[in-house]
Amino acid sequence: MIDRLRRILRVARWETARASGGVDRRTALAALALLLVAGGVLGGGLAAGVVGLDVDRDVYRVGVDADSPYADAVEEAPALTAVPLGSASLGDTADLVVFDGSRGGTVETVAVRASDTRKGEAAAAEFREAVEAHNERLMAAEENRTAAFPITVTLQYVGRTSGLDEGSTLGGSGDAGGDDSGGTGGSDDGSGGDGDGSDGSDGDSGGSGGTDGDAAGEGGAGDGGAGGGGFAVPSVGGAAFGADTVGSPGSISPPFPFVSLLLAFVFLVPMNFLIQAYGSSVLDERTNRRGEPLLVTPLSPVDIVAGKTLPYVAVAALVTTLIAVAVGGGALSVVAVLPVALTFLAATFVGAMFARSFKELTFVTVGVSVLLTTYAFVPAIFTNVTPVALVSPLTLVVFDLQGEAVGLGEVLFSIGPMTVGAALLFGLGLGVYREEDMFTQKPVGRKFLDALAVRLRSVGAGTGTLRSRSGLRALAPVAFLTACTIPFVFVAELLAVALLFALPVTVSIPVLLVTIAFIEELAKSVHLYAGFERGAFARADRVAVAVGAASAVGFFLAEKATAVVQAVGLTELYVGRAAFGSVAGMEGLPPIALAGLFFAPLLLHGFATTVAAVGASRSRTYYVATLALATLIHAAYNFGVMRVYA
Amino acid sequence: MRSRGGRLTIAGRELSGLRAEKTILLAIGIQLFIAAFSSFLVVGLVSMYDPGSLGGAEVEVAGAGDAVTDLERAASEVDGASVTRYEDAAAARLAFDRNAADAVVVANRHDDGRISATVTAPDATVETTVIVVQLRDLLRTYERQERADRSASLSESPLPLPERTGTSPYFTFTYTVLIPVLVFLPVFISGSLVVDSITEEIDEGTFELLRVAPVTLGEIVDGKALAAVAIAPGQALLWLLLLRANGTPVANVPSILVLMTALTALVVALALAISALAPDRRAAQFLYSIGVLVLFGGATAMAGGPANAVARLAIDSADATTTALVVAYVGIAAVAYAGVRTLVAENGFEK
Repeated sequence: MIDRLRRILRVARWETARASGGVDRRTALAALALLLVAGGVLGGGLAAGVVGLDVDRDVYRVGVDADSPYADAVEEAPALTAVPLGSASLGDTADLVVFDGSRGGTVETVAVRASDTRKGEAAAAEFREAVEAHNERLMAAEENRTAAFPITVTLQYVGRTSGLDEGSTLGGSGDAGGDDSGGTGGSDDGSGGDGDGSDGSDGDSGGSGGTDGDAAGEGGAGDGGAGGGGFAVPSVGGAAFGADTVGSPGSISPPFPFVSLLLAFVFLVPMNFLIQAYGSSVLDERTNRRGEPLLVTPLSPVDIVAGKTLPYVAVAALVTTLIAVAVGGGALSVVAVLPVALTFLAATFVGAMFARSFKELTFVTVGVSVLLTTYAFVPAIFTNVTPVALVSPLTLVVFDLQGEAVGLGEVLFSIGPMTVGAALLFGLGLGVYREEDMFTQKPVGRKFLDALAVRLRSVGAGTGTLRSRSGLRALAPVAFLTACTIPFVFVAELLAVALLFALPVTVSIPVLLVTIAFIEELAKSVHLYAGFERGAFARADRVAVAVGAASAVGFFLAEKATAVVQAVGLTELYVGRAAFGSVAGMEGLPPIALAGLFFAPLLLHGFATTVAAVGASRSRTYYVATLALATLIHAAYNFGVMRVYA
Repeated sequence: MRSRGGRLTIAGRELSGLRAEKTILLAIGIQLFIAAFSSFLVVGLVSMYDPGSLGGAEVEVAGAGDAVTDLERAASEVDGASVTRYEDAAAARLAFDRNAADAVVVANRHDDGRISATVTAPDATVETTVIVVQLRDLLRTYERQERADRSASLSESPLPLPERTGTSPYFTFTYTVLIPVLVFLPVFISGSLVVDSITEEIDEGTFELLRVAPVTLGEIVDGKALAAVAIAPGQALLWLLLLRANGTPVANVPSILVLMTALTALVVALALAISALAPDRRAAQFLYSIGVLVLFGGATAMAGGPANAVARLAIDSADATTTALVVAYVGIAAVAYAGVRTLVAENGFEK
């Protein structure tokens, strides 16, 4: 054990020495020079006043009289550009024309005419917001504060069943759980306060309504129009108006952990650079047979890969800790980000093992970054909304930055799947960390099959029957491999749901059913195909049936196991919610019917997978055809189940 | 004649490499994913923030305090909110706790003329956001009415607002963010391809083989650049056509393609320069990422940056300045590429 550790450390030292040689002083200086130039240009631009991240600058043209007070409002809105009223022709050179009914200096009414397009509508909405922002600015300059800002708003967020903050006023009804939920209310308020404190820089909107109200009003207007320029989500005023703060109505912004989210994103940025270096290092071994000397040493592939990966994990841990210290996160942030870093590295490792060239690797790295970043980041947006957000460890970071307490169960629920996923990916890549795969130019698909087949044992090759103990033992890896696909199946299904979200329901539901069925059938049968192709399984129908059934059992067991884990995790999270309404509805059924319902999926999996396996045992064309058939069977079953429940 | 053939041969060799590895499909897949996902995100976020897009959510406000009449007056002007009067704050709060109201507003007049509104909203659920957005609308209307009543004490009265019109914030997003992103992704990909292609050939020693072929170094560089630049406009056109099929008309497509091709040439020039300078692939890709970040970050921050230029062209708000910008980018790209090519042709990729 100690010996092995020493070996790993030796490889790690060697890798560190090599990697630090790669980025030499000249490169570092060049990068520094580039950044300095950028900083100088940006600074100069800022000084000259031409810099601003308004991607929507001047996209709408508004015809307005230069003397009109509305011309100022248009002038100050970045998205609007003024066109002289005389030359404005609607739909051609202007999207909106403003007629103010000004009589003797005061404006009584205003009429706008927009071109009859979606652009015209958008321009009209943008104009309205510009006028609102302009009014806020006018009012900010007023002497008479009471008349300019007649209303002071105090906003507080309170849980429904908890007592009032003053702790009085309520009669006995309606709050049976008043006592213990009072504690929850308290902690929530505390968190609100914390979030507010950390956002102090971008909006001390409390206190004086005047200038701050102006700033927030302006931000609100610009954002609403932009509809989110990149990350300019509507009301980016941030948590400027958090719990129990005071300001004018214009400065209210809905609760949204915007700043914490942005900070959580900062944790992901260095990963992209890290995996670039890591991927290069792994692929470097594979070009020109450079890794061969290492392979012929007594070191096992696990030692080599662990050693090569260790420095990058260390760098990730170090950078994450530094960022955590810089943005005010605690140990929880580091614990939450490390599995993400591991998954980034694991996916890159697999990509680098499969890629045939640097070009291919570049795309793999970009793909890994994009996929994992969205997977980690998107659920975190819904941190305060639903406990399901915890599927992303980044949610823990947001909690940590908001200063909220998180239970051990939640931490495990959040980082567990990702850690397991990273381990499985490393396992997959290690399968092809051998001479015959590393230095050959096989297409990615073939290499993937190799990596799967390595994990299988031969079935039905000799004279031994399948019923014997050794036969069963050979089937165990089949079931195990299927079970290992579960995390990836879930992720793929999640992504499918997210991607099909934008389509109309009549299209998206059938497409989704078929897609999910396809993902599951593929996961259950692709390694069977690999087994037949690579000669691990004898090409016989009885073998196909046996491995198909084994694969189905593996899938079924793993699915049920994760369902149990999820149920435990989620009941803990959804306190008192009727998350198991459907289960509760089945109480009246006789046990046999219940058992039937429970095992029906097993039958389905068994049948569909056997169909695909029989095809896989013949040839690729047969496999594709039977996979399609299995998908259809599966989708039909899902559709039937859905109809029954509906 | 021979030299042109040499360039085309090199370019063809590059393209067939891409085809064999199917990297271009992977690239398009990644772009599709980014496009689909960012749309999903924005649609989701916008529906969280814009109750209108949720289909007319009505927020029920329990009102109390001595200024509740004015609050009701304001609510009659706001579509998404209605105020029910309760006799005191405790009664309103009770209604809130019993789910009879979405929020509580207690409005009181003070001696100094100010009105204080104490708002209670439910804690952290999806609806909270919607409720708070509607409450803000209600309170701003209220504020506007109060200001109008006190206009005598104001030196300048607020401008009347035009009527509210229905629009989706998604419209602006599509033109100012989504289209520029889709148009520029192929630009970065092309540059990255050039870095990989050159550093890989140097690394594997095949560059030397190419050198003994009857082509000059300049022609090799031209061929590689040609292949990288040639694949970019096609991808952008694909996205623009897809958007058009989805009901988002894009104006000035030829100008957009010219602009993005010019930018591709510029980025490819940058990639060439970096692969000539950097010692190996890792350093080159690192420098390239930083260089592109600096170039585009800086350019986007400038007034008239390429992202904004594309947005204005696509949404059909282009004017003479935009055209001038396109011409300027073409000029800059031509000069940059010619400069880098000359340098590389003279000095080679010697390390």
